[in-house]
Amino acid sequence: MSEPVSIPSHRQAFADIGRALRYLRPFAVPFSGKIAYMVLGVLPMMVFPWPAKVLVDHVIQDVPIDSTRYPFFFQPVVDALVGRTPMEMAVAMLLVGLALLAVFGGTGTTELRDQTGAGLAQGTDVATRSENQANQGYSFVGGLFGYLEYRLTLRISQGLNHHYRSSLFERIQRLPMTRLDDQRIGDAIFRLMYDTPQLTEVCYRLVLTPVIAPLQVAATVWVMWMTFGDIPEVIVAALLLAPASFLLTLPFTNVMRRRSLRARETGSHATSTIEEGVSNVLAVQGLGGQAHESARFEEDSWKSYTDWRNFQLLWWGILIVFGIAGVTAGTYLFYLLSDRVFEGSLTIGDLSVIFAFFGVLAFTAENTGRLWIYLQDNVVGLRRVFELMDEPADLQPQGALPLDEIRQGFRFEGVGYSYPDGTRALQDVDFEARRGQMLAIAGPAGAGKTTLAYLLPRFLSPSEGRILVDGNDLQQIDREALRSQIAFVFQEPVLFDATVADNIRFGDPNATDEQLRRAAEIAGASEFIDRLPQGYDTPLGRGGGRLSVGQKQRLSIARALVREAPVLVLDEPTAALDPETEMQLVETLQSVARDRLVVVIAHRLSTIRSADQILFLQEGRVRERGSHEELMALEGGRYRRFVELQSSAAA
Amino acid sequence: MGLPLLVLSLPAGMLGTDLFLNRMLGGNPVTAFEAELLLLDPAIFVHVESLSIAARQLLRDRLVIGALVFVVVMTPIGLWAAWKLLFIVQRINQILRVEMVANMQAMSMRFHANARVGDSIYRTYQDSAMVTNLMGMLVQPIGPIFAGVAGFFLTFVYDWRLSLVWLGLYAAAYGMARYYTPILRRNFREARERNSALTSCIQETLSGLKVVKAYGAEPFEQARFEAASQAAFDGAYGARTNLALMGILAFILSALPGMLTATVVSVLAREGKPLAAGFALAFVGFATWNLGAYANVLGRVGSWSRGARRLIWLWGRGQDMAIGMERAFTQVDMRPEVEDAEDAVPLPDFRASVVFRGVHFGYDPRHPVLHGVDLEARAGTITALVGPTGSGKSTLVSLLLRLFDPDQGEIEIDGLDLRKIELESLRNHVSIALQENLLFATSIRENIRYAVPAASDEQVRDAARVACAGGFIDALPDGYDTMLGERGARLSTGQRQRLSIARAVIKDPRILVLDEPTASLDAETELQVMRNLAEWGRGRAIFVVTHRLSTIRRADQIVYLRDGQVVEAGSHAELMERPGGAYRRFVELERSSGLPASDPNAVRGAAS
Repeated sequence: MSEPVSIPSHRQAFADIGRALRYLRPFAVPFSGKIAYMVLGVLPMMVFPWPAKVLVDHVIQDVPIDSTRYPFFFQPVVDALVGRTPMEMAVAMLLVGLALLAVFGGTGTTELRDQTGAGLAQGTDVATRSENQANQGYSFVGGLFGYLEYRLTLRISQGLNHHYRSSLFERIQRLPMTRLDDQRIGDAIFRLMYDTPQLTEVCYRLVLTPVIAPLQVAATVWVMWMTFGDIPEVIVAALLLAPASFLLTLPFTNVMRRRSLRARETGSHATSTIEEGVSNVLAVQGLGGQAHESARFEEDSWKSYTDWRNFQLLWWGILIVFGIAGVTAGTYLFYLLSDRVFEGSLTIGDLSVIFAFFGVLAFTAENTGRLWIYLQDNVVGLRRVFELMDEPADLQPQGALPLDEIRQGFRFEGVGYSYPDGTRALQDVDFEARRGQMLAIAGPAGAGKTTLAYLLPRFLSPSEGRILVDGNDLQQIDREALRSQIAFVFQEPVLFDATVADNIRFGDPNATDEQLRRAAEIAGASEFIDRLPQGYDTPLGRGGGRLSVGQKQRLSIARALVREAPVLVLDEPTAALDPETEMQLVETLQSVARDRLVVVIAHRLSTIRSADQILFLQEGRVRERGSHEELMALEGGRYRRFVELQSSAAA
Repeated sequence: MGLPLLVLSLPAGMLGTDLFLNRMLGGNPVTAFEAELLLLDPAIFVHVESLSIAARQLLRDRLVIGALVFVVVMTPIGLWAAWKLLFIVQRINQILRVEMVANMQAMSMRFHANARVGDSIYRTYQDSAMVTNLMGMLVQPIGPIFAGVAGFFLTFVYDWRLSLVWLGLYAAAYGMARYYTPILRRNFREARERNSALTSCIQETLSGLKVVKAYGAEPFEQARFEAASQAAFDGAYGARTNLALMGILAFILSALPGMLTATVVSVLAREGKPLAAGFALAFVGFATWNLGAYANVLGRVGSWSRGARRLIWLWGRGQDMAIGMERAFTQVDMRPEVEDAEDAVPLPDFRASVVFRGVHFGYDPRHPVLHGVDLEARAGTITALVGPTGSGKSTLVSLLLRLFDPDQGEIEIDGLDLRKIELESLRNHVSIALQENLLFATSIRENIRYAVPAASDEQVRDAARVACAGGFIDALPDGYDTMLGERGARLSTGQRQRLSIARAVIKDPRILVLDEPTASLDAETELQVMRNLAEWGRGRAIFVVTHRLSTIRRADQIVYLRDGQVVEAGSHAELMERPGGAYRRFVELERSSGLPASDPNAVRGAAS
């Protein structure tokens, strides 16, 4: 399990935001398109309020049309209306409205105005709300324009998210082998699926707001200045909302981060619980742990709900603060403007126009002011993703030396290995393993056999000493080149939810059917594969599904064999095999070892004694080394004792 | 409480618009009714040509105070209701989720072999959330429907022709919903299935990451992930663009009545035409068409067209919810294959024997794994199950736990058919140490007492001792509190194997099943574990699946399985006496392969 993230500091937050914005680069072109849409989208906002004024002031009330204020861009319409009957004016406004409706989704004559979006129903915790964030699309206007803008925005959001989570996935795949074991899969799923969408939000907020908000404000202020320049209070009051919203929410910054983090962590925990419970279902049922498992999930899930609820409560608090600010500003303006109406210097139509513009201004200003507090939730999501990305990747430093086919073999010189937590696994390991040899590693459980084997393909790097391959230090060799020459069979067979053939072909995607069959035959798997309902094309189901462990083991051996790599490493390949199959396998390994290096970890005497060289490991040290005969000749030797014990137990 | 408020809000709204537009802003005198309601002096407010500025300011104060009071009263009520609703919705979702997860756990292994973990996660999270959204769905249309109906009657009062427009709008909305429903359903199903597949893809790659790395298949897995991710986004793209388009069309449709009304009524209001039902509305000042009536009728038309739009909106999203719900309920409704029978009884204390009689079983009925297994195991004995890989040994013991039910034949404990025994009580009596050592991401202590959370530290230690795990646990820096990773990190397989034996032993079961428990143990440890178990196992029945001769020899009864049938059964000595017997051949093979003839020690071992 990963350590809990601490609440990001301001510095961290800014650094993460800067880093997030860099993900925008590949989307520069469509993103400029989005900006262009938003800039153009400001224009209809300037037009929408005017037709209603025509109806109110000139159709219903008898205010002469050329006596009141209109901005220059609406003047041509006004000029055309001079001298028309009220009916003609009303119909003209209807036509203007219809045009606006089709293109921009605003009616002009009524307050109805569209905004495009397609948010779906969502749940009440972090995870279920991320889907909408990942697929964010919106336009401040409707109609044809809104639809086109919506499509573009949605594509950008999705592209960004796809790009971002793909790079996270890539990083996760490169985490060191030992780290992976510690990392909870559920947690990784949560970060990949539910934390990544925060990136889109950050990009939109930080790039679009600074461009669009000033523009929108400028356009509105300009139009109002032209028409109602004598009442600057309206503009000032609206603009004051920006700093006010910012200052009012500033105190909530850290609470916001803390709550957001908690909500995400508990959600992540609940995901792990499901994942683990379902993956280990055999153990759960076998031990009667169902009630226990349900209770565990129940608790975790409820905690995630509670945390989200607390997070929501905080939001409401913030919204109330905004509400108070907005109502105060609105009331003030209302007094100011209605006095003007009483005096007769403003018409009722003017009042509706001013409030419409005030609405646009206030919305923009408030949103800008809220930017900071909105970002806090995003920042936490970002941090969780970046944190996982920043896990030290596989074994530094990565060498660049290309590796020709391994000819000689490996040489260990004073190799030691300690886990990051200080546990010592290996110490002073010296030996040489040559191609054409079969090397067996034996010893009691926990002696460090698997750790030793992990050093060969650099799943781990030695903390002391060095390993040479064909005389070159392993550290300097390109890792991919090294791994491409090693086939590794793990102690616990790992199979994928794919067909038998695909599982074997994992070792070499280009293997022909003929090669697959041969590998399966050598591994002693062909017999049972042929008996499967669809032979090689049988889907295996999750984790190998219904195969017995022995069968799985044989499949994973076939997978290694099909690779035809110069080095073959097997970690207890025969533990779950019956003697007959085991014998066949050992014979195979011996023949394979004629022109390769075979390294095998085993407890079984039959496997061990067929090796050319045996390393007997105990407590992380090589205690004895040599062939079976040599080691058996050592009076009181550890290996000899080991063999005797096994023989006497077997007899 | 909500409905009366809604009903009251209509005349209140009319009154407010009238006072605001016609009286305060327009300067027209207020009606006697309004003056009385607002405690205004009729001399200044009613019986005048037009209102003075001072009077209008006074009126304004009253209106503002009224509005503020309304907001101050309504906000806490609204928030309280929202809070309650949130709580209820979460509670319901919680119950559903827990049931889904519990149901997953109860499904037989036959199901799990084909199910994907990621799919369960997605269903539990995303799909189940939709069920609770339905709760909202049931409440949400009330507002729009009410607004729509009220709008219909009110506009009818203003002018009956407006109501015809209303009917036209709702008919068009209905047609639109009909048209879009199948399209959206298909889109949403696709989007959900693809997201679910993506979750599975992540889960599977991560659980097999070791092999991915070892075989340098990262680029391949990366491509697979990206394809799944892109597919999920494409699915969402289709669904959402259609939904957005439907929203835009719905808006255009619903905006038209309002625009027509504005055009027509503005002209009527200029001419001061009497209202069709002016008598009814006179008390709020709307006897004839005027600015206030214009604003109010626009407001009403606006609210019923918003209602229509909202209904389309809800309908569109409802399709997504329906798909999500269907997926969630599929998981809740799945019946576990293995369930308690109606007349199931708790298992009395195990005394005599476990009997398999003519047991047939296959994961896939066409490919039986066991055909006709008969065997009997008595209390106080160890039964070793031996045979080639794939002969059905693990399957046989999993039937004992009722992870599956046999297709034919029966299994009895003390003469009681397994199917007649309560599942929970059965699994309390039978304990298994699995071949694959599945540990949980928690401490060693919690792992050992997984099945018996109440076990004392003393009991945990005892179990660890029986499994020979005490030694290495004590050597760990944090001892029993050492945390294990997702797959039981950093313990060697042999160590994990011993933990899972301890976990099985601590339940103090009457019947213990060990499925290749010692394969990864060295000879010395294995010997010790078997000795401990033999001592611990008095009065219990122990089944051991194994290839190890040393373990097999300690068994009281050896059952040799091949191709799902019992070929031989008996003690080691009995079976070794059968020339050409399957078991004898097995033993000879094991010995000859393990011990070279040239080695004097080995010869001694083989001969003794």
